[in-house]
Amino acid sequence: MSAFEPSLSYRRWRHLKDRLAKHGVAIGGVGVIVAITLIFFYLLLVVLPLFKPAEMEAGPSFSLTDAPQAIHYLTVDEYVEVGLAVDEAGRALFFSTADGHPLERIDIELPPGARVTALGKGDPAIEILALGLDNGQVVVVKPVYKISYPDDRRHITPTLEYPLGTDPIDLDEDGAPLRAVALQMGEEQATLAAVGESGQVFVANLAIEESFLGEGFSFEQENTVIEPDLDDIRYLLVSGPQTELYLANGDGNALLYDLRDPTEPELLQRLDLTPPGVRLTSLRFLTGSVSLMVGDSRGHIAQWFPVNERGRPRLVHVREFAEQDAAITDIAPEHGRRGFVAADAKGRLGVYYTTSERLLALAPVTDVPVAKVAVSPRADAALVLDAQGRLHVFRIHNEHPEISFKSLWGKVWYEGYSEPAHLWQSSAATTDFEPKFSLTPLALGTLKAAFYAMLVAVPLAIMGAIYTAYFMSPGLRRVVKPTIEIMEALPTVILGFLAGLWLAPYVEAHLPGIFASLLILPAGVLLFAYLWQRLPRTLRAHVPDGWEPLLLLPVLAALTALAMWLSYPMEELFFEGDMRNWLANDLGIPFDQRNAIVVGLAMGFAVIPTIFSITEDAIFQVPKHLTFGSLALGATPWQTLTRVVILTASPGIFSAVMIGLGRAVGETMIVLMATGNTPVMDWSPFQGMRTLSANIAVEMPESEVDSTHYRVLFLAALVLFLFTFAVNTAAEMVRQRLRKKYSSL
Amino acid sequence: MNDETANKPTLDRPATHAIDIANLQRGGERMDLAQEDIALKVENLRLWYGEKQALKGIDMDIPRTRVTAFIGPSGCGKSTLLRCFNRMNDLVDNVRIEGRILLDDRDIYDPALDVAELRRRVGMVFQKPNPFPKSIYENVAYGLRIQGINDRRILDEVVEKSLRRAALWDEVKDRLQDNALGLSGGQQQRLVIARAVAVEPEVLLLDEPASALDPISTLKIEELIYELKSNYTIVIVTHNMQQAARVSDYTAFMYMGELIEFGDTDGLFTNPKKKQTEDYITGRYG
Repeated sequence: MSAFEPSLSYRRWRHLKDRLAKHGVAIGGVGVIVAITLIFFYLLLVVLPLFKPAEMEAGPSFSLTDAPQAIHYLTVDEYVEVGLAVDEAGRALFFSTADGHPLERIDIELPPGARVTALGKGDPAIEILALGLDNGQVVVVKPVYKISYPDDRRHITPTLEYPLGTDPIDLDEDGAPLRAVALQMGEEQATLAAVGESGQVFVANLAIEESFLGEGFSFEQENTVIEPDLDDIRYLLVSGPQTELYLANGDGNALLYDLRDPTEPELLQRLDLTPPGVRLTSLRFLTGSVSLMVGDSRGHIAQWFPVNERGRPRLVHVREFAEQDAAITDIAPEHGRRGFVAADAKGRLGVYYTTSERLLALAPVTDVPVAKVAVSPRADAALVLDAQGRLHVFRIHNEHPEISFKSLWGKVWYEGYSEPAHLWQSSAATTDFEPKFSLTPLALGTLKAAFYAMLVAVPLAIMGAIYTAYFMSPGLRRVVKPTIEIMEALPTVILGFLAGLWLAPYVEAHLPGIFASLLILPAGVLLFAYLWQRLPRTLRAHVPDGWEPLLLLPVLAALTALAMWLSYPMEELFFEGDMRNWLANDLGIPFDQRNAIVVGLAMGFAVIPTIFSITEDAIFQVPKHLTFGSLALGATPWQTLTRVVILTASPGIFSAVMIGLGRAVGETMIVLMATGNTPVMDWSPFQGMRTLSANIAVEMPESEVDSTHYRVLFLAALVLFLFTFAVNTAAEMVRQRLRKKYSSL
Repeated sequence: MNDETANKPTLDRPATHAIDIANLQRGGERMDLAQEDIALKVENLRLWYGEKQALKGIDMDIPRTRVTAFIGPSGCGKSTLLRCFNRMNDLVDNVRIEGRILLDDRDIYDPALDVAELRRRVGMVFQKPNPFPKSIYENVAYGLRIQGINDRRILDEVVEKSLRRAALWDEVKDRLQDNALGLSGGQQQRLVIARAVAVEPEVLLLDEPASALDPISTLKIEELIYELKSNYTIVIVTHNMQQAARVSDYTAFMYMGELIEFGDTDGLFTNPKKKQTEDYITGRYG
């Protein structure tokens, strides 16, 4: 037995250590992959509900025991417990949606002997209705559901209120029956419109003044009569801002009147809402009372809204849903979103959303045509009245109708915009606001920020790395390389802070100087290098070989100072004293203080160490025998660099750029603080941007958990994740190929 | 091994084709340095790496179109001397050179001299095969391309000629566009020689060109050296005294930075004039 043969226990211990190390490394590696996969699946889990279709679930179905005559109006309360049907005689019946038994019967206070001849609905968000009477008068009522909690159980007491008082309002002073009526009511004014028996349209503008004590109110009424050139007007609508009046007949011929001066309505537009031969069967506002939803006899539903054209509204056809193949009998808009349900003559109910252009569900509800449909305020139920007078309750699960591939990435035509656009606007101060979730401007902003950062970082970092690895003296290299690498440890929040608060105003004030430095710095450095070569050898000998770049530091500082000093004179000379205004006024280029130049400089600064360090290593590790081989063949150092060294180092340089790009794409703090966070679709260097990462950081704290907004933010995170994943995978594949091709021995 | 060399250094050659040719070529006639045309003239060359002197006053004449071998123990300065001929030592930090080397009566250390042009005229092949990570074709064409020659016809012609000279053409003619790194070590070394030959240098420096190769590849390289001798002045550094004896016409023995003995190969191996030479070739040290 050899004296050096290890003892059995030592061999076992050694073996154990070896196995422990092996398994430890394996667990670590697998753990990383598992963690990343879990993150991916968690993001996916949060995001997936966005793309689910709506589900409709049939609830109770019943006939009203004490059936009113023809039901004019149907609605349901927030909790889908109490339904309301209003009939021709002006009777309001509140009933249970569970079985249809009557809860409360209220006779609306009408003038003696008057009958309801027409019924107009206010904005979908406000449950309010105008009853047009056969004596030319209008009564406005509002169902109110008072909630109390006796014995800790919710109890709903329905009742009716009269927002404009119980006194009927005169529209047709001749007292003839009204054939159609429309209402729009705001805090300070209300507009009522009605079609009279002989086809004239009465418009009443009410200026409401609440008394200071809060209880009572009074209004001043101004009536106008229009004689429209349109027969058989069946549909009459006043827009939400009470500035437009729409009239339409069953053939789809429509008129648009300007009501901005209520005493002198002006005809703005005459148009056909349906193609020739197609009947207009339903016309309703979406919530906000701006968009018209036009249902026709083919089963198509078109959205129209006014677009400002030379200061005047003009109704345009925005989009059309052709999903149902029977006449649309009623359209019920959701109260809080731009969605609606549409019922047709084949007894089917479709759930739609306008801006995402989605049909979320389409299901048969009865065997007979549907007469009327109402949507609950929370859009989670529909109350359907069929032609045989039976009522059907349907539960609708429709959490995220706003999202579709097109609404996330494509151009969407939103209300109030003159054309389709990519818009990100997740919240606003007003309640009838529609969130706009286009990820395109955010993705573009991310790419834009990364592009400008790379524009600054890639040339500087790669050239610096080439010089450091290939030309610099080893002594200086030992100082320069760690110094640049330590820059990477600088917290980006500090860079972002400096960029936003110091660099941005500085760049704005020295814009000509910044651009001049692009010319002055390289030219000055070349000039200095030339002069240095011309200096006598004895003088140059004082600087050791390879340390010359240190001499450039004061030169660069001086050149930068010169460029900045020249800034004001140049601004005076070429840009009428203010380059910012010159850009904006003479070239029409808008200028933001926090723009892509600032981001490019700041984030470029943050990315430089990454790219520099990896590139420098790659070039330095090119085997010396390749360099020598090239030089020995009579190549100059420059030829050797460009034809052999960079080629051999190319896989490393490529990964350096890609890792830098990955960092620029994912970087958050700098873009958060220095971009201005405006989600614009613009590559201009003078404008800001909003990146996916900054958007998540800004909006995540204020988004409601599990809301559409919240899930879209997770989607943004998923996009960012997939983006970096794709970039890294592509980079790795290219790198492997390059490495296979250019691997040295 | 060294014992055998000591007994019959010149006679104990393996009976190979290359050696037969070498015997035929030199057979009978003794080489005489005094009658040779001189390609490189070294005059009192001294070289320091930092404080350490690596070459201590070398004087020697390298004859044209002959093979000159440098032998000597590790660290004797033979590779350093070789690298002085194409100024590759310039690339080493803290190197200081005094004295002169004349190539065709022109001092190659003249500051006005174009180093790149010098290196084109004095080609070099290294111990380890160092093809570029490019195709076989581009490796050979590299030397021409850096001279600004991109004419496809000229390149094709030179590539073929150089590969034929390096006895590699038949092996690679069907895969010229393949990556050179796919060749075997011996093929790579011949490719590197073809690359060096392509620019038509006057002098070819070989720094232990076969030390990293297997015996068959070594044999091929040695045959190649013999073939190339008619066109080029060849200087070879080798640790292998048999190789020196087989391929060279003249041999220089160096020790501790000094040139101990320089003369025709047969004379130096059979009848060394200096004790140090004899000690080395008989295996006492080194």
